[in-house]
Amino acid sequence: MIKIQRKIQQTVSKKIVCKEWRSSIILEGMVEDWSDVVKAGKIAANKGYKGVVNKIEVKNLHIPEINKPIIADNSLDKTQTDVLTIGGGVIGCAIARELAKWDVSILLVDKEDDLAMHTSSRNDGIIHPGLAANPKTKKAYYNVKGNAMYTKVSEELGVVFRRSGSYVLFEKRWMKLVAPLIMKRANQNGIKGATVIGMKRLQEEEPYLNTSIKGAIFFPSTATVSPYKMTIAYAENAIANGIVLSLNTIVTEMKKERGKIISVKTNRGTIYPKVVINASGVYADKIANMADDQFFTIHPRKGEIALMDKKKGYLLNSIVGKFNLGHSKCITKGGGLVKTIEGNILTGPNAYEQPYREDFTTNRDSFELMVNKLIDTVPKLSPGDIITYMAGIRAATYEEDFIVEKSEYVSNLVHAAGIQSPGLASAPAIAEEIERLALESLSETKDIKRKEKWNARRKKDKQLSIMSLPERKRIININSDYGEIVCRCEEVSKGEIIDAINSPIAVKTVDAVKRRTRAGMGRCQGGFCMPLVIKIIEENTDLEMTEITKKGKDSAVLKEETKT
Amino acid sequence: MYDVVILGAGPAGLAAGIEAHKKGANTLIIERENRLGGILKQCIHDGFGLIRFKERLTGPEYANRYIKMAKKEGLETLTSTFVSHIKKGKGVFYLEAVNSECGITSIEAKTVILANGCRERTAKQVHIHGSRPSGIYTAGLAQYFVNVFGYLPCKKCVILGSGDIGLIMARRLTLEGAEVKGVYEVKSTVSGLTRNVAQCLDDYNIPLHLSHTITKVIGDERVEAVEICEVDQNMNPIKGTEKKVECDGVILSVGLIPENEVAESLDVCLDPATKGPLVDQNFMSLIEGVYSCGNALHVNDLVDYVSESGEYTGNSAAEYSKRSIKKERKLVRVKKSNDILYVVPQYIDINSTSKKIVLYFRVKEKREKVVICFKLNRETIFTKKYKYLNPLEMERIEIELELYDLTENDKFEFAIE
Repeated sequence: MIKIQRKIQQTVSKKIVCKEWRSSIILEGMVEDWSDVVKAGKIAANKGYKGVVNKIEVKNLHIPEINKPIIADNSLDKTQTDVLTIGGGVIGCAIARELAKWDVSILLVDKEDDLAMHTSSRNDGIIHPGLAANPKTKKAYYNVKGNAMYTKVSEELGVVFRRSGSYVLFEKRWMKLVAPLIMKRANQNGIKGATVIGMKRLQEEEPYLNTSIKGAIFFPSTATVSPYKMTIAYAENAIANGIVLSLNTIVTEMKKERGKIISVKTNRGTIYPKVVINASGVYADKIANMADDQFFTIHPRKGEIALMDKKKGYLLNSIVGKFNLGHSKCITKGGGLVKTIEGNILTGPNAYEQPYREDFTTNRDSFELMVNKLIDTVPKLSPGDIITYMAGIRAATYEEDFIVEKSEYVSNLVHAAGIQSPGLASAPAIAEEIERLALESLSETKDIKRKEKWNARRKKDKQLSIMSLPERKRIININSDYGEIVCRCEEVSKGEIIDAINSPIAVKTVDAVKRRTRAGMGRCQGGFCMPLVIKIIEENTDLEMTEITKKGKDSAVLKEETKT
Repeated sequence: MYDVVILGAGPAGLAAGIEAHKKGANTLIIERENRLGGILKQCIHDGFGLIRFKERLTGPEYANRYIKMAKKEGLETLTSTFVSHIKKGKGVFYLEAVNSECGITSIEAKTVILANGCRERTAKQVHIHGSRPSGIYTAGLAQYFVNVFGYLPCKKCVILGSGDIGLIMARRLTLEGAEVKGVYEVKSTVSGLTRNVAQCLDDYNIPLHLSHTITKVIGDERVEAVEICEVDQNMNPIKGTEKKVECDGVILSVGLIPENEVAESLDVCLDPATKGPLVDQNFMSLIEGVYSCGNALHVNDLVDYVSESGEYTGNSAAEYSKRSIKKERKLVRVKKSNDILYVVPQYIDINSTSKKIVLYFRVKEKREKVVICFKLNRETIFTKKYKYLNPLEMERIEIELELYDLTENDKFEFAIE
C-alpha cells in the first residue's frame, strides 16, 4: 500500500492518500482535474487488492446527482420478493429471464421509463468473439461462453441475430508478423475458427475495403444483434414467465441486519427481498455502497458511435477493425466499422473518460476525429453518409474486469458489476452464473423447484418489411393496419407501432416505439413519421397529445394547443 | 398495364398526372400519404400561384385547384399506398404497392414518373452535437405540428438556417404566441427569399444573425439552451465566441434533399449538383422510361415551376408510352461553365422531336449585370441579360432548336459571358 501511495503521490498528486479497507484499497484526497482521479485509480488497480475504491474529489467540479424518476407513490410498498434485480439493462433482463425458470418471485426495477436506456441501447451491437480480453480474465471467459450461447437464446427469444464474422485488418505489412501472437491469444481464450487470410480472399469477402489493406485475421464467431431488442426480448420473456417489472423505480437506500439486506427503499415504497442482485450498470458501485459493500469504483468511459444511411450498407458485409497494439498491452480493436443487424454501417466507438455517469452528449471534436480515423477503411463511405450519432457510457472498474460474484460481506447480495464491453456478448453467460449464485443464496431459506410451465420461447415481433410477399399479404389481410406505412424510410407499418404500444411492456413514448419498430430511425430521422407516430400513440393509449413524450419525464413533444 | 404511373401526388405529380391523362395515357398516381397535395397541405401562408394563376393563393388552395382538375378528368389515384419495390423489365416496370385495402398489389407500367419531392436535412446532418432532448424539429415538421395538428412544438425557440420554411415558421410561431429568439445562419448571406426576410423577420423584430451556428444542444429531456458560435469564412466555429441562448426548441431550416431512393433502386444516375436524376429535355432520366420532375428533380423556389415541370413530364411520358417503336435516344451533354451551379436538363436528346427546350438553372454566386448565353458548336444561339443573378433564385429560359439540324457531334454550352 505504501508503494502504491508513493507512486500515486509522485506521478499524480501529493494530496492523495491510500487506506486499506477489508481486502480493498481506498484512495482519498482532492485533485485539480478528473484525469488525475482516473490516473490514480489505474495505478492502484490490480496490485494485489480486490478492488479500488476511488474517493478522490476534484476541486470545483460539480457532478450532478443521479437522474431520478418524477413519480413517487406506494405501488411497491411492502412488496415481499424472493429476488430483487436492480437494473433493466441487458444484464439485469437476462438474469431475470434465467431466474424465471424457477418457482421464485422476481421483481426487476429500473429507474428509467423503459428498459435498455443506458449502455444497452448505446453500443455497437457486436457479439464479440472474445479476443480483446486477456486470458484468465472474467471478460474473456464470459465473452467466449456467451458468444456461443447466442445462437440458441436469440432463436428462443425471436430476436434477429447474424454471425457475420469479423476481421482484424492489417494496414501495414509488418503487422502480419503479429498474426501468430493474435492467433495464440485466440487459442488461449478458446475462440474457434480464427484464420489468417490474405488480400485476395479479403477482397472477395469485402470488395469495398481500402485496397491498401494487406490482410486480416477472420473470426467467424463474431455476430451482430440489436442490443435493445435483445434486452427487451429477455424482459418480455421473463414477464411472460411471471416476473414483475417496475420501471421509473429508483433504489435510494438499503437496510441491513446481521450482514444481510432486510429492506430496500425506493421512490415507490419499501421492498423486502430475500436476495438482491446488483446489475445497475454505471451506478453499480453506488448500489454496492448502499449495502456497505463498495469494493470497486465505476469510472464512466464514454464511447461515441455514428450510423450511416442504409443505402450505403452494401459497402460492408461484416465487421472490420484496424489492428492496433492498444494502450494497456492488450490487443484491442479500437473501434471499427460494423454492418449492423438492420443493415446500416456503424462507425465507432471511441473511448474517453469523463466524470459524468449519465452525460450522453456527443462532442464535435472527438466525434470527427473518430469518424476520420475509421472511415477510410471503406473509401466509398463519407462523413456525409452519417444520419445520426449518439454516445454511451461504459461502466468500467479500475480493474477493467467484470465482477460476477456473491458479496463477501453481505450474504444476500450478488453483484453483476463493471459490465462494460463485451458485456452484451457475455450477457447470456453472466446471467447463467448469477442465476446459480442467486439460487444458492435463496436455497438457504427455501426449497427451490423449477416452474412447471416455463416457456423459453418468445414470439417474434412482426417486421413486415422483411417478410416474404405472400406472408406480408396474409398478415395485412388479417389486420389492415399492417398495410399502412407510417415510417417511409424504414417501411414500418401502423400495425407494428400498435403492436409495440400493446406489447408486454406497454410503451407510450416516441423513443420506446422507435427502439421496438425502427420508426424514425431512417435517413429523415422522424421528420415525416413523428406526427403520425404521436397520433397513433394518442389513439391507442390514455394520453393527450401534449402528454406524449419523446422519452418520458419532461420531454413532451408538443407544448400546447394553438389558440384557434 | 398503365401507360404512366406517377409516384407522388404533390404539385409535380398532380400536374404530371393530369397532363398525361389529358393526352390519353392510362395514368395512375400513387401517394403514400392519405391525402393528395403533398407538402402544400401544410403551407397555409400565401404567395403560391403568382405565375400560373396570377393570384396569391395559399398552399392548400393551390393544391385544391389541381386536385379538382384531377377529379374532373377522372384521374386514377391511390392514396395511403407505399411502393415497396420497383423493378425494370423489358419495356415494362413492375411495382409492388402496399396499402391496407389490398395488401400488396402488383402494378405494371410502361413508364414511371418520380415525383417524390424532397426531405429536410436534419440536425445531425449539420453537425449539431450535445444532448438529444425533445424539442429539436425540422421546420417542415414544426409546420406540420402547428398547421395540421394545431399544436405548438415550443414556446421559446431559436431557428437555425434562414431557408424559406425557417423564415415562414419564425412568423408562424410568433403569430401563435411563441417567442422566436433569433434566426442563426451559418453562411454570411440569407438562404431564403428577400421578401420573406422582410415579411417574416423584420416585421416581427426577429433578429437575424449571419455567420453564426449552433454548436451544442443543452438539456436532457427538453431543450434548455443552445450554444451559439460565430463561424469563420470556412464556416468552422470560432473558439471563444461561444454564447448560451436559453430556449425550449430548435427549429432547423438547413436545406432540402431530393428524395431519390426509388430512383437509385432503378440505377438512375443522379447529378451531384442537384441531387436529382440526370435528365434530357423530356425529363427522362438516363434509364429509358423513368422520368423525374418537381423537387425530386431539383429543389425549386416556386411551386409554379414545379407544376410546369410536372406538366412537361406528364406530356412526354404519355407520348413515349404511346409510341410503338421507340426511337433510340442520342443524348448530348449540356456543358456548363464553372460559375453555374447546375442546369436542368443536363442532356439534350437530339433525336427527340421536342426542340423547344426549357432550361432551369442556378448560378454559384451572386452576379450583377451579366449575360448568359447558350452556344451550339461555339456559336451563340441564345442570350439573355440579367441585372443580377442570385443562387437563391432559380432561373428559367427557353431555347428553340427547331432551326438546327442536330447531330451527335454537336456541342452545347451554357455559360455566363
